[in-house]
Amino acid sequence: MRRRPNHLAGFGSLVWLFVVGLPLYVMLVATFQTRADYAANGPLGLPENLTLDNYINDLNDGFAQYFLNTVVVTVAVVGLVLLLVPPLAYAIVRSDGKATGRVFRLFLLGLAIPSQAVIVPMFYLINEAGLYDNLIGVILPTAAFAMPVCVLILTGVMRDITPELYEAMTVDGASTWRIFRQLVLPLSKGGLSTVVVFSSLQAWNGFLFPLVLTQSSENKVITMGLYDFQTEHGVDIPGLLAAVVLSMLPVLLVYLFARRALVQGLMGVGGK
Amino acid sequence: MIRHSQLLRTVAAGGASLVLTLSLAACGGSADSADGDSGTIHVLVYGDATNKVEKKLVDTFNKTSKVKAVLDTIPGADYQSKLQTIISGKQAPDVFFNWGGGSIKPYVDAGLLMPLDDFIAKDPRLESDFLPSVFNTAVVDGKPYGVPMRGTQPVLLFSNKKVLNDAGVTAPRTWDELLTAVKTLKAKGITPIALGGGDKWPTQMWFQYLYDRVAGPELFEQAVKGDKNAWASADSKKALGRLKELIDAGAFGTNYDSVKFTDGGSPALLATGKAAFELMGSWEYSTLQDAYPDFVKSDLGYGAFPAVEGGKGDPANVAGNTNNFYSVLKNTKHPEAVAEFLKLMYSDEFVQAQLSVGNLPTTANTPKFLDKAANPEYSKYQYDLVKKAPSFQLSWDQAFPPAATTTIHQAVQQFFNGQMDTDAFIAAMQSLPAA
Amino acid sequence: MTTATAPAVDSEETTRNRRRPARPGTGAGRPGFAWAAPAAVFFGLFALVPLLLVVVLSFTRWNGLGSPEFAGLENWNKLLDDPVMVKSLWLSLVLTVLGVLVQTPLSILLGVWAAGHQRNRAVLSAIYFVPLLLSITAVSVLWRALLDPNFGIPSQATWLFGDGNLFGVQTSALGVLVLVSTWQFTPLHTLLYQGATRAIPQVLYQAAQIDGAGRVRQFFHITLPQLRNTVVTSTILMVVGGLTTFDTVLILTQGGPGTDTTNSAYYMYQKAFKSFDFGMASAIALLLVLVASLVSLVMVRLSGYDKMRSTMEGV
Repeated sequence: MRRRPNHLAGFGSLVWLFVVGLPLYVMLVATFQTRADYAANGPLGLPENLTLDNYINDLNDGFAQYFLNTVVVTVAVVGLVLLLVPPLAYAIVRSDGKATGRVFRLFLLGLAIPSQAVIVPMFYLINEAGLYDNLIGVILPTAAFAMPVCVLILTGVMRDITPELYEAMTVDGASTWRIFRQLVLPLSKGGLSTVVVFSSLQAWNGFLFPLVLTQSSENKVITMGLYDFQTEHGVDIPGLLAAVVLSMLPVLLVYLFARRALVQGLMGVGGK
Repeated sequence: MIRHSQLLRTVAAGGASLVLTLSLAACGGSADSADGDSGTIHVLVYGDATNKVEKKLVDTFNKTSKVKAVLDTIPGADYQSKLQTIISGKQAPDVFFNWGGGSIKPYVDAGLLMPLDDFIAKDPRLESDFLPSVFNTAVVDGKPYGVPMRGTQPVLLFSNKKVLNDAGVTAPRTWDELLTAVKTLKAKGITPIALGGGDKWPTQMWFQYLYDRVAGPELFEQAVKGDKNAWASADSKKALGRLKELIDAGAFGTNYDSVKFTDGGSPALLATGKAAFELMGSWEYSTLQDAYPDFVKSDLGYGAFPAVEGGKGDPANVAGNTNNFYSVLKNTKHPEAVAEFLKLMYSDEFVQAQLSVGNLPTTANTPKFLDKAANPEYSKYQYDLVKKAPSFQLSWDQAFPPAATTTIHQAVQQFFNGQMDTDAFIAAMQSLPAA
Repeated sequence: MTTATAPAVDSEETTRNRRRPARPGTGAGRPGFAWAAPAAVFFGLFALVPLLLVVVLSFTRWNGLGSPEFAGLENWNKLLDDPVMVKSLWLSLVLTVLGVLVQTPLSILLGVWAAGHQRNRAVLSAIYFVPLLLSITAVSVLWRALLDPNFGIPSQATWLFGDGNLFGVQTSALGVLVLVSTWQFTPLHTLLYQGATRAIPQVLYQAAQIDGAGRVRQFFHITLPQLRNTVVTSTILMVVGGLTTFDTVLILTQGGPGTDTTNSAYYMYQKAFKSFDFGMASAIALLLVLVASLVSLVMVRLSGYDKMRSTMEGV
């Protein structure tokens, strides 16, 4: 391949670096300044005295709790999805019955349902079940709405397993369960990691369900913490932005240490 | 009709019980949400800085009471919408914060609230210890439904004294003086009036006062009862015309719709001298005290809304949040405990605690403690203002039922930015449901 | 992230699978319905039952207090006459189309560029990715702070922003919404195009080079046509995401000034949780579902993306 440098593309890439980088830079710099300094320097100014107070204050203000709640929600959602979706995808791909075909179509229908559309009855159901203002009440619908995409990803991957492999195991007299465990799951690893990435991002970033289904600070997730912070003391921009940085830390850590898995997982969302 | 809601209920109930079963199965039955334990009352309040006072009060109550009170809070912006969604369900509180007037009317209509006649019969101080103009705000259909809590919050015209001095302007007592001041300030390159238009309710404050000053409080009283002609009256058009004059004079600058009060934007404009005036609720003082203590000490001015020449309203009238109230759910399991809790609202301890955080209760014993308030002079000024006011106009978005809020807020914003003319504004207000 | 990836992930294998006649005697070792049941019940409960309830509620009058009352077609009649509803659909459309028009060329260019294996490209790509690590909430909150007229960037760049009244004028308010979603989601689409570009067989380029085709020609004659499927996937993601934009509107503009950024999703939220007209809100919600599925279907047909037909036939 020819290696003539592409100056236009180089220039364009620097412009985009500016568009992406400037807000990130302003955000980071602001979080290390006191409110007064930030007001005096402005967002584009250079900071003089650096402080960690904004982060410490946020953590003391309940963000530690919100963090924990968000972790609980995320782990539970991923767990539920991993528990329910692989057997379903396996059944869809391998079952003879008509019923599973119908179930598959049900999930396809689910793709067209935006979560906003069902928020009113969802509130009603969760409230009637006594799960209002309870993390379980957030976990259940979040998991349900992450499922259709996960089903599609996994069925796509499982269909790539050739019938010959199944038949070989069937001839050996392997049970359905053993085929699932020893053949299907190991060969679906790529799809499973996409499912984990997708569903954990859905849970970590969830907004509408926690907004409508929780209220107390014990049950607040990070996105709600940010939203309430903004509506209550939005003028404390350094504190607010420190909270924004805190909210991305875990994802950033995953990104730093498992970049490949995350990126591959996200690519999987768009198909292979 | 019946059939349909039954169908809905059956489907919903079926779904809900399945959800419940499933969730119980999923979490091994450790769901801790439904606290069926007797012996507690839930007190729901608007989540903000005052909560520390309420927490203290609940602790005081719990020291002597067998039935324990639990304080729940919902952050301000979502208070009203959360309240409406939980008040008729299992999560309903026993006692809750509100603004009286239209804010509780739908709940009264739905038969959810307990009239407080019995409580008052047993303890008349629950009524007699409060200023009547305040207490009456929570009277709906002739029955009392709320006991005042927190404080009264009249809307005042705040100013930056230094900016006014530098421009050679004195605090305006009449509308014409205000218009003149606006011209002078504008010529000096200062935004005459700071407005947090992004929040929309600060914009509404200008309407409240102009209608009061031009037409007197009666016009809005009629309007809120559903008299659509009130909005189309000559006085209504005159009030809007006066306001239009001010807007067209450039009094609010050009970017007010991107500025908010809630994120501290508009108070900052006032405190930093980029603007000269701000019309805001009495809480402006404590907001500024937190962020700009030096400014409050030396340069913060405050006063009543100017009189409008030839207007029907008494210049001593005030508008704003009359007070906040505690209302009681009809199906509370512990009415006696609730009654005891409400009695704290006129106690010395309560009044002192409220004054210490800058709130101004309107109880008979308040004057005793005004000297000990966080800012005695300011508290006394407000107390006298409210006490002497012939009329205290409740904020429009609280006088109407919550369902009307969006329409009101959009209309005031669109009148300010010119998207609605006088007729369109009147039509929008005529479309509101009656309280 | 949205839920619209369906069509792309699946492939012609579905068709193959279905057309293969069920052979007798292969039932052994095949999973029965029991394997599908838990997920089906769970999903039915939390997605389909609510959807059914939305349909029922859209024919009722209900303010959240007491029981819903049957109201016939009242909500639907009101909705069709409601100028704000029409406007909100139009705004949803505008936001979606603008989003696609801005993001698609941008992410194709960035994706193709990032597909190169040069060191600097890898480093820059890693930085470009960062906005995707933030939630929509966080991104909205960040930009609201950055664009504040008094404390944000506009106060220091008046030559660019003027009086900074970004949220008080429809054009700029819409512009902010598009900018914010572009800023956040371009990395995702870039990633999709990067992956797809790397999958293009190198032979095609080698052949073109022998023919003396330049860089631009190669881009238009090889790269773009090869990215066709990814364009459809990515566009569907953008369209469904765009139509259901909610968090950004709530945090950045609250639908204002006036109703100038009130898109359908926000209008629905407002009707439900600010005006407590749950019947009307349900009608809007249903309309939203219909529009979203219709648009996806139309796009599938128009694009002639045949792969999708097999998975969409059940919808």
